[in-house]
Amino acid sequence: MKVFSNTETFNYSWEEVSTANWRKYCPWNDKSTHVLAVDTISRTVDPETGILRTERLITCKQSMPDFLKKIMGSGMEEQQVFETSYVDPRQRTVTMVSENITWNNLLNVQETVVYRPLNDHQTAFEQAAKITALCGGWQKIKNSIEDTLVKRFRENAAKGKEGFEAVLAMSRRVFAEEREREKMMLIQAQAVNIRMAA
Amino acid sequence: MSQSLAPECNELKERYDTCFLKWYSEKYLRGISTSDNNECATMFKEYNVCLKRALKERGIDKLLDEAREDFKENDATLLGKKKCK
Repeated sequence: MKVFSNTETFNYSWEEVSTANWRKYCPWNDKSTHVLAVDTISRTVDPETGILRTERLITCKQSMPDFLKKIMGSGMEEQQVFETSYVDPRQRTVTMVSENITWNNLLNVQETVVYRPLNDHQTAFEQAAKITALCGGWQKIKNSIEDTLVKRFRENAAKGKEGFEAVLAMSRRVFAEEREREKMMLIQAQAVNIRMAA
Repeated sequence: MSQSLAPECNELKERYDTCFLKWYSEKYLRGISTSDNNECATMFKEYNVCLKRALKERGIDKLLDEAREDFKENDATLLGKKKCK
């Protein structure tokens, strides 16, 4: 088993980050082209704690090094990941736990991501992944599979931050425009009311 | 918004995602609406019917059930523990 961990800081409020997180893999993020689809399977709010629990299925296309393709077959390229996330509005945390469901008899990748506020304008991102190659066989092969994936995680982490920054910037702009539009509509409606009253 | 793995569900997914995001940012985070039976519930149901069919056709539904078993512990820690506080 190998472990990868990473922390980042985003200069956005927790509310902004937790909202933009739902569209992390949208076309605004040109750094995550490996994500083909994101589907929501279930979504509930716990009546006692107010925690929003969401199950999602993420379909990715990962290019694999040749030696892994030989071991696992080229069908390995399209993979599905099951993710369960918990938004706790009282503690102000988002916790996302995910695991691969494709080829999980060969390889197990479990990832946990937590977003928590540092202050009113900054949010911390904490990521930890456990990578275990399960295929019976030489330890040497298992080690090199795990090392390859840790390397992949490291490369994707930098790209992931860059991509999410783009989504955050775009979200802030769109929300500001939306607020502006609503304000204009309110002013127009008030103007009509005044004219009608006059 | 992102695509659905089943192209035939894309339209329903887009409609639901837009509704959810509005609800999440304007109501849920502000503590105004804290129930999952909200204005997006019908849209979710429609999208879910489409998605479930697609998952079954692709045999993914069974993989999901297995993964859910693995994740039971997370529910206990992330939903359960906080109930005791």
